[in-house]
Amino acid sequence: MNLRSLRRATRVLRAYPTLLRVGFAGVMAYRAEMLVWMLTTTMPLVSLALWTAVSSRAPVGKFGPADFTAYFLAILIVRQLTSSWLVWELNAEIKSGALSQRLLKPMHPLFLFSADNLAAIPIRSLLCLPLALVLLFATGDRIPRDPTTLALVAVALLGAWLLNFLVSALIGALAFVMESSTAIFEVYLAAFSIFAGYLVPIELFPPTLRAVSEALPFRYTLALPAELLTGLLDPARALPQLAVQWAYVLGALVATTLAWRAGIRRFAAFGG
Amino acid sequence: MRYLRLLLTQIRISLALGMQYRWEFLLGGGLTVVWTLISLVPLHIAFSGRPPIEGWTYERALVVVGWFTLLKGVLDGAVNPSLIRVVEQIRQGTLDFTLLKPADAQFLVSTAKFEVWKVVDVTAALAIFTYAFSRLGRAPAVVDVAVALAMLGAATLVLYSLWILVIAAAFWVVRLDNLAYLFNSLFDFARWPVTMFSGIWRVIFTVVIPLALMTTYPALALLGALPPRTGLLSVGGALLFAVVARVVWRRAIAHYTSASS
Amino acid sequence: MGRVSQIQVAGFCYPPVPLMAPAQSVVVKGLSKVYQVHERGAGLTASLRSLFHRRYRAVQAVQDLSFSIAPGERVGFLGPNGAGKTTTLKVLSGLLHPTEGEVLVSGFVPQRRQVEFLKQITLVMGQKQQLLWDLPPVETFALNRAIYDIEERTFKQTLDELTTLLDIGTIAQKPTRQLSLGERMKCELAAALLHRPQVLFLDEPTIGLDVSMQLTVREFIHSYNERHGATVILTSHYMDDVAALCPRVIVIDHGRLRYDGSLPDLVRSVNPHKQIALRTSAPLDRAALERVGAVVALDAARAVLQVPRAALHEAVAHLLGRPEVTDLTVEDPPLEEVMRAFFARPTAEQEAAP
Repeated sequence: MNLRSLRRATRVLRAYPTLLRVGFAGVMAYRAEMLVWMLTTTMPLVSLALWTAVSSRAPVGKFGPADFTAYFLAILIVRQLTSSWLVWELNAEIKSGALSQRLLKPMHPLFLFSADNLAAIPIRSLLCLPLALVLLFATGDRIPRDPTTLALVAVALLGAWLLNFLVSALIGALAFVMESSTAIFEVYLAAFSIFAGYLVPIELFPPTLRAVSEALPFRYTLALPAELLTGLLDPARALPQLAVQWAYVLGALVATTLAWRAGIRRFAAFGG
Repeated sequence: MRYLRLLLTQIRISLALGMQYRWEFLLGGGLTVVWTLISLVPLHIAFSGRPPIEGWTYERALVVVGWFTLLKGVLDGAVNPSLIRVVEQIRQGTLDFTLLKPADAQFLVSTAKFEVWKVVDVTAALAIFTYAFSRLGRAPAVVDVAVALAMLGAATLVLYSLWILVIAAAFWVVRLDNLAYLFNSLFDFARWPVTMFSGIWRVIFTVVIPLALMTTYPALALLGALPPRTGLLSVGGALLFAVVARVVWRRAIAHYTSASS
Repeated sequence: MGRVSQIQVAGFCYPPVPLMAPAQSVVVKGLSKVYQVHERGAGLTASLRSLFHRRYRAVQAVQDLSFSIAPGERVGFLGPNGAGKTTTLKVLSGLLHPTEGEVLVSGFVPQRRQVEFLKQITLVMGQKQQLLWDLPPVETFALNRAIYDIEERTFKQTLDELTTLLDIGTIAQKPTRQLSLGERMKCELAAALLHRPQVLFLDEPTIGLDVSMQLTVREFIHSYNERHGATVILTSHYMDDVAALCPRVIVIDHGRLRYDGSLPDLVRSVNPHKQIALRTSAPLDRAALERVGAVVALDAARAVLQVPRAALHEAVAHLLGRPEVTDLTVEDPPLEEVMRAFFARPTAEQEAAP
């Protein structure tokens, strides 16, 4: 059993470079679509303009214009690296039955989808990731420079990517059971935009709402790495939050695996 | 007359279709409530206990949010669904069937699908108006309501024409379905009064993607604060925009039919 | 685990007996598949009702199907639309779970979808594709190499072979969306066979192709089967495909097995007649012809007769003796017609019912 899962893991690892390469080629074929996608991920820049204007007369909470600038640049960076459009893809493939071709492959479909996601990162962040990074570093000394904090940022980013991808896979898999799960994803996105700190920094929330957002998973897909990156979150205070993040990742992994198993069984009972 | 009948049939089919997707039906209503409440949080943070920004107080900004909610209902209920379907049809090559029908293609395309339960959004918008004006301690004047409704018409026309332009673009570019996603993301900023933005963004939101016309001007009209000149310019601009969209659409169809084999 | 191997435990066996290949490539016992279909009425009230109260109807797609197929066989599934052919193929490939019955393919239970099983089979659907739409087929090939974990050398060898046989050297470099239907199907076949599967499920592989492309695909499948000893199971609307490719046919109608055997035998049992076509220098007498067999057509220069197979010899001898007959050919009635006659027959069960 162990030998078998080991063999399976090495097989996936061996295949992964090719999956990434072909995924990258696929992304290149969708350049026009990518441009639109890139523009979509620049929305934090609009938030940036809005909130710097709001805070120009008097700071909002402890946020002045410079704080808002740094925060939304960090949000932009994290969003570019971790977002996923798997829900739409899965809904389309389950509806059209195209998923059956993937199911015939001797590899879990989620590995294929994850490679597609990662392969798209260089292109979709081409436009503003470098710019945002430069600007963020130009905002001065709020960027952590010690290796420990940077390592924490990396761990938080990885956790955010995983959590985002797994949740997308989970919501996408609901399309096995219902006609379409994109409506559910819209609810998720609505909650995400507020509780993940996408529209307003969570720091500015009233205390109750802030407590709620720290208990919900959304914050751990976006705000946590962004706050670490801008020095808003003290590294010492970050550790328990990272623990919560990875607990959510683990929970999402279990839930997604189970949902897929059940979903495929149902797909097989009803036919694609 | 024929077109009215056609429209009613399309709505009836959409209604029947909407009933089948019972999950979305329930979620649709819930989503509206959640979304409306959530959209008030940033507004609250920006305005409550703080000085007015560019003349906008919390109550006045609430009126903008009301228009935003209303227009979002129109967008998601009557405009977006058809657009998404057309883009899909262009990709699969099934748009040919539509073009073969003996009726105006633009009409057929733009009435292909409605999300009927988005009428809930209209109710939510009315609730917000009521709340805002009760906090202001007055009711809007009848004339102002009439002007505001005229502005709503202009806003819808602009929104619709914008989509027709998007569909036309989809004839040339293979895949464009997340243009809808992009527009939705941008449109979310229409919940803020445009005059709060400064510099480049204010220009973009007034001229390029006229969010000002969509929510800020109708809100000003309802508050009785819209300069008549701006109102007239908006209506004129909307009409011109619609004509341009129509012309581009015709050219796109000609291009499509000559290019496809 | 899922591998059912018949190991004869001999008393002294050294070196150990290798796992023997299963004697049958496909074994199906009492297979039934029932779908739950959501019933939708037309009209507004019906759909309003369905919002709160859903009615499901069970549809029996396949009923008590049993057959087995030996390794290397080429078998054609015949049947009218909706007879259950595609359902059966999907069950055999593990995409659908059987409601009842047992299925073994290459010794595996398909629905478990074990990696070893998936590496043994392939499914080609004429109506759905696995090629990446916006990329050249070579990219799909590379992707499949990685997914199926094919060794570089084997991959090169197989790809070279497939490229030559299917003549897709230049085609495979162009984006899939620019290919014609026939070119796409050739690449689709290549992508599906890169891992050298031992069992091929082909669902309408020639649909929509022109005659010469049909022939190419047919010949290719035939040669793959002969070179690799792979089992081929095929459904097709074109009788010619099945007639040319499959020594054995399995006829499914209304989800039930109606016939399992060779195609010529089937034709003989449905229509025990042969057709004799005559060219004549002068009109023949109808009454005289009626004594030989049933007259299908008769005019000044031509006549077509149907004669029982048993009486064929005598009839031909007699007709050749007539001075007016200038030419004579004996043929089978067209396959399509035979099948139509076959499906028009009541099934055994319907006959038994009052």
